[in-house]
Amino acid sequence: MLRYAVERLIQAIIAIFGVLTIVFVVMHLSGDPTLLLVPQDASAEMIAQLRSQLGFDRPIWVQYLEYLGGLAHFDFGISVVQRVPAFDIVVSRLPYTTMLAAGALVVAIGMGIPAGIVMATRRGGWLERLLTAIVVTGQSVPTFLSGIVLIFVFGVTLRWLPTSGSGDFASLIMPSIALGAISMSTFARMTRISIIDELGKDYVRAGRARGLSLGSVVFRHVLRNAAIPVITIAALEIGNLLAGAVIVETVFAWPGIGQLAIQSIQSRDFLVVQVIVLLISFVYVLTSVIADFVYALVDPRIRLVR
Amino acid sequence: MSAKFASVAAMLLALIASTALAQTKDTLTIDLPNDAATLDPHLQWNTDSYSIYRNIFDNLLTRDVKGEIVPQIAKSWKYLDDKTIEFQIRDDVTFQDGTKLTAEDVAFSINRIIDPKLKSPQLSQFDQIAKAEAVSPTVVKMTTKSPYPALLAQLVKLSIVPKAYVEKVGDQEFNLKPLGSGPYKMANWQKGVQTELEAYSSYWRAKPPFQKVVFRTVPDVSTRIADLKTGKADLVRDVPPDQAESIKNDANSQVLSVPTERIGYLFINAQGGVTKDVRVRQAIAYAIDRQALVEALLEGYGKPVEVLGAEPVFGYTDKVKGYEYNLDKAKELVKAAGAEGATVEFLTSPAYSRATVEAIQQMVNEAGLKVEISSSDQATFLKRRQGDPANAGGLAFGAWSCACQDVDGVIFPLFRTGSIWAKYSNPKFDEAVDKARVILDKNERLKLYEQAYQVIKDDVPGLGLYQAYALYGANKKLKWQPTANEAMFVMDMSWQQ
Repeated sequence: MLRYAVERLIQAIIAIFGVLTIVFVVMHLSGDPTLLLVPQDASAEMIAQLRSQLGFDRPIWVQYLEYLGGLAHFDFGISVVQRVPAFDIVVSRLPYTTMLAAGALVVAIGMGIPAGIVMATRRGGWLERLLTAIVVTGQSVPTFLSGIVLIFVFGVTLRWLPTSGSGDFASLIMPSIALGAISMSTFARMTRISIIDELGKDYVRAGRARGLSLGSVVFRHVLRNAAIPVITIAALEIGNLLAGAVIVETVFAWPGIGQLAIQSIQSRDFLVVQVIVLLISFVYVLTSVIADFVYALVDPRIRLVR
Repeated sequence: MSAKFASVAAMLLALIASTALAQTKDTLTIDLPNDAATLDPHLQWNTDSYSIYRNIFDNLLTRDVKGEIVPQIAKSWKYLDDKTIEFQIRDDVTFQDGTKLTAEDVAFSINRIIDPKLKSPQLSQFDQIAKAEAVSPTVVKMTTKSPYPALLAQLVKLSIVPKAYVEKVGDQEFNLKPLGSGPYKMANWQKGVQTELEAYSSYWRAKPPFQKVVFRTVPDVSTRIADLKTGKADLVRDVPPDQAESIKNDANSQVLSVPTERIGYLFINAQGGVTKDVRVRQAIAYAIDRQALVEALLEGYGKPVEVLGAEPVFGYTDKVKGYEYNLDKAKELVKAAGAEGATVEFLTSPAYSRATVEAIQQMVNEAGLKVEISSSDQATFLKRRQGDPANAGGLAFGAWSCACQDVDGVIFPLFRTGSIWAKYSNPKFDEAVDKARVILDKNERLKLYEQAYQVIKDDVPGLGLYQAYALYGANKKLKWQPTANEAMFVMDMSWQQ
């Protein structure tokens, strides 16, 4: 168990380090922020001067080593655009993203799993067809469209919910639905497939033969066995929700990490991007490790050994 | 009993109604596409940042509604010689912490922004200034490196910061907790969310019109418009022309627009590819129907121009005429240059209207060329556009404004030999614009710029397309006249119940 944890940790550090290096190199090769910072009428000398003041004229490996040197004692550097420590900028956005991801996960799991159960156990009925239609819609409508439609219907026309903002619970509802819709479909489909898979197995037939109702077999036995793939998906979806909220956050003016990421990439605010990448890869790795431990809890047949 | 109760209720209702009527608007809410990058006015100069911080700070000079340069912190000024100018500073201005604004603060502000240690991206706008010194508490003497006619136009953008406060708290803290002498003081900056400002009650000009102003960050334009329609925002910036109609149709909203100094223009590479041939460049000029661009894409919120300049910009001339739309001539010229079917690369980025780029592509294609659009992100676009001429593409669309309303900030950086934007070189043009930036005589300068515009017309290294209008969506009760330099001074706004 301990050995497993240590191995996973080492793998995680290597993965995060690799991601950081790739992002650093790609960002630096595609230009630096100097051109975006100066006014239009700046001369070539002025631009060169500012570039050297900001340190972007040095060879990339020098900048890379300096960056790693800072990282070694948790110095993430200062944003060249905002002139504020990059770490502080990202941390200030974190609560918003966590809130939105949680809201979206509530929508996704709260609607997706029950829908999946119904779709698996009521096959061929009108309810399954209705739910399939909803799931397919949730999966295929892009969030920039669903977001704007939600704003138009519930914000502008009905005036039930605020059109944008982040100050209160009401403004969390629409972004959560827009963001959660795609994950909801994934959960519904995965739940449906794994339950159908389990329903074909001998223990289900044995249970039914002993006179148990379908509902009782599903809730007592099938759900537990069908949970493994769903947990895997949940772990991946948390990472996706964190990283994939870019469009939803932009449409709803929700000040989370996704919105910050896109702005920082556009303005080549390297250090802020690096902190975000670090954070997202950390969450990805962390959730997949947690998922591994949850497997073992849910299904004792899985052992955390090699 | 119940009658008594009813009459009391009626009285209460009447009271509430009358106070509601008399009540003035307390908080003005403005939706901007982005948060301010910095609120230290000497760091970032971009529209979102200065829309906010220019309400916290006063400027040395400003422009009135007509666009004339008028006093603000400086009462008056006079040239001692070609390179020395003396400003009289007001002595009735206080910063928001109650301390008095003096000539020391003005000199400090100038010396701070030109100090390389601050690493200010705005340095290029002030680098002609050698130094500033306070001669007395109300007099500042400024020296320029050479005679510099655009000095006053640049000083319109200089915010005055308090020397004692900046030195006490340091640059980083000042950026987070800015303090100025303007009508609004900083109340709360929730980065990425909103910036709240509060009226400074002892402001020297007059009482600020709203007790509170909130600038919200709303990146998506449809959301900004939804905010306006539902009353969540009172004023929204950056409305695209095709959305103006939907604001006009809303009972509580209006569109505010103003012709600006911003020029939509087409860059044509004179030093690389098939556009090296002047006949091809002229053909492109003939192929473009500027009127159609304005009507179809800007819905009338723009005005075709003959040169790369517009009325609010000093040095603009109406004596030089542009190319008329003439497809036959365009085709002839392309044929004469032997360039039929030649490929021209059109560089662009998501920062520029895709519809405009495609419309121009269509028009130029009709002249017999083959335009291929390459779109990349803004940083990559700038790197190519400002780099080696051979790799800078054949065409690029842009919207130019120096926020200085002087041609020196427009055609000099665009076309002067050696400038990063110029993929063009003509000694005749260089001579005219070089001379015009070191003499102070206005008429002489106008004549030189007319010559320069004539050279550009003949050589076509670029083409003025239209004067852009700034478009804002506003609540119908907001009274505000937007200005040509796209500034957003809350002090100029008011609310009519």
